Amino acid sequence: MTVIRFFTDILTITDFELRKIWHDSSQIFIRAVQPVLWLLVFGQVFSKLRVIPTGNYSYIQFLTPGVLAQSVIFVAIFYGFNLVMDRDMGLLHKLLSTPIPRYSIVLGKTLSAGVRSIFQALIVFILAVIIRVHLILTPLSIIGVLIIITLTGMCFSGLSIFLASFFKTRERMMGIGQAIIMPLFFASSAIYPIDIMPTWLKVIAHINPLSYIVEAMRSMLVTADYHRLWLDFGVTALATAVLVSLASTAFSRIIR
Amino acid sequence: MNMIEVDNLTKRFGQFTAVDDVTFQVEKGEIFGLLGPNGAGKTTTIRCLLTLIPVTSGGAKVAEIDVLKKPQQVREVSGYVPQDVSVDGDLTGYENLAFYARLFHVPASARKERIREVIRFMELADKANQLARTYSGGMMRRLEIGQVLINRPRVLFLDEPSIGLDPVAKRMVWDYVKQLRDEFDATILLTTHDMNEADHLCDRIAIMNGGKIAVIGPPAKLKTELGGDIITITSDNSSCRQVLEQLGYKLLPHSEDSACDLVVDDGERKIPEIIDKLKNQGVSTVSVSLKVGTLDDVFLKYAGQRIGEGDMNWATTRATRRTARRHG
Repeated sequence: MTVIRFFTDILTITDFELRKIWHDSSQIFIRAVQPVLWLLVFGQVFSKLRVIPTGNYSYIQFLTPGVLAQSVIFVAIFYGFNLVMDRDMGLLHKLLSTPIPRYSIVLGKTLSAGVRSIFQALIVFILAVIIRVHLILTPLSIIGVLIIITLTGMCFSGLSIFLASFFKTRERMMGIGQAIIMPLFFASSAIYPIDIMPTWLKVIAHINPLSYIVEAMRSMLVTADYHRLWLDFGVTALATAVLVSLASTAFSRIIR
Repeated sequence: MNMIEVDNLTKRFGQFTAVDDVTFQVEKGEIFGLLGPNGAGKTTTIRCLLTLIPVTSGGAKVAEIDVLKKPQQVREVSGYVPQDVSVDGDLTGYENLAFYARLFHVPASARKERIREVIRFMELADKANQLARTYSGGMMRRLEIGQVLINRPRVLFLDEPSIGLDPVAKRMVWDYVKQLRDEFDATILLTTHDMNEADHLCDRIAIMNGGKIAVIGPPAKLKTELGGDIITITSDNSSCRQVLEQLGYKLLPHSEDSACDLVVDDGERKIPEIIDKLKNQGVSTVSVSLKVGTLDDVFLKYAGQRIGEGDMNWATTRATRRTARRHG
């Protein structure tokens, strides 16, 4: 009974979060603008320049998994901001006055970020196919990528909710969102291989979960080199578990 | 039976004591008002009772459930309508209700019926399938109250239920609150800084100021304790004062022979009686005026300041925010 309730609570939150997107899907397209530009402009230009060594693959092949991850992070990192908005109205106080446990709220919100991320990534995915980026598209690779994308959405929305529990104002959360995205992106293997980085950046890239997320997608979509796939999946899942747990614990601080 | 029991409740934020050793009880079926200016500790008291924030010391029970020991159970029997907008503008009215039906674990078989019932009671049928952000202020407030009615709460906490509403919508909310008690058998704790609202709605009020309760009682009684209403009668007959004294009325010392100030309870009803009696004694009246004792006077007496002093900035800010939310 309690197990069933645990899942129905989470799904209730996720369900109604997703209905909001159903009512107004323009957000998905607005948030897709930046990743699309990365892929279309940056990707195509640098493919021609051949300044970044990407081995046997074209630069745009190399970049596509990175941009997929980026499109997800753009959405997920602002979940904390939305939560602060809810707090500034009475929405959050009312939600917390219902019997639903706090961790279910956090899990439901992060799960909805994960599901939403799939729609977000789909735009990039479709675009990549249209501009004829050569990707491995087997049922297994697609399922694998969808799992990674969902985990990524959960992971970074968890981080965002965790930060919101401490910073609590829209201005700070807006600033934090902006401040986190670019360093995360640049200090990872999303747009260039870790090998060409200076040592200090290599260290950061190795502890940046985004590197593992991108590598997982890259091995499934581009290289078909699966020798470290378990590591990539493992780190992604672990980072997600840690950040979502931290967010669940810290969450009730947000209204204090 | 007491549905709310607050015992020596104290809540501190760092050095600041928001709620200072507060004790009161609310009986089953009562509408109880916490009245006070902003920062008096009303909202903090409510949030402590709803287990939203931890208390510093003291304790409380809601529906005989200990707030400190069983927070989950307290939330199961309570309904909370915060003063700020608490419906999701990006969902329809119906979805907002369905969401809370599921959050409150209303059995699937009963959900539709409950939602229908609330839509009917709160008169939301017209716009139930439109996004809540298109609602007027009054309608939004009805939806906000409707959301927690889904749970059929035994204790309802309303934080400033009519704030920011126009006079018509305000009246409507007042009527709903009274019906809620009667039809849903709920006990209601509300906060307000509107004297009129407290007077109109509440069976009993507690005046709060600086985190403390200054006085508790029924509005009428608190007003009477002030000394009652004052009726000023002028007459062209110079024996007016003498006659009134003979009839046994209490006059203020500065009364003159033909212009008298009387202290009475329930002044409005006393006027015709006094005029009749004077007429029977052959004294005709030229003018009568009544100054009714108000809760504002009560507040002034106990809190040492008029309520709402220096509140304008806050009220304006809020109004702007609400508008921005609705149209933004």
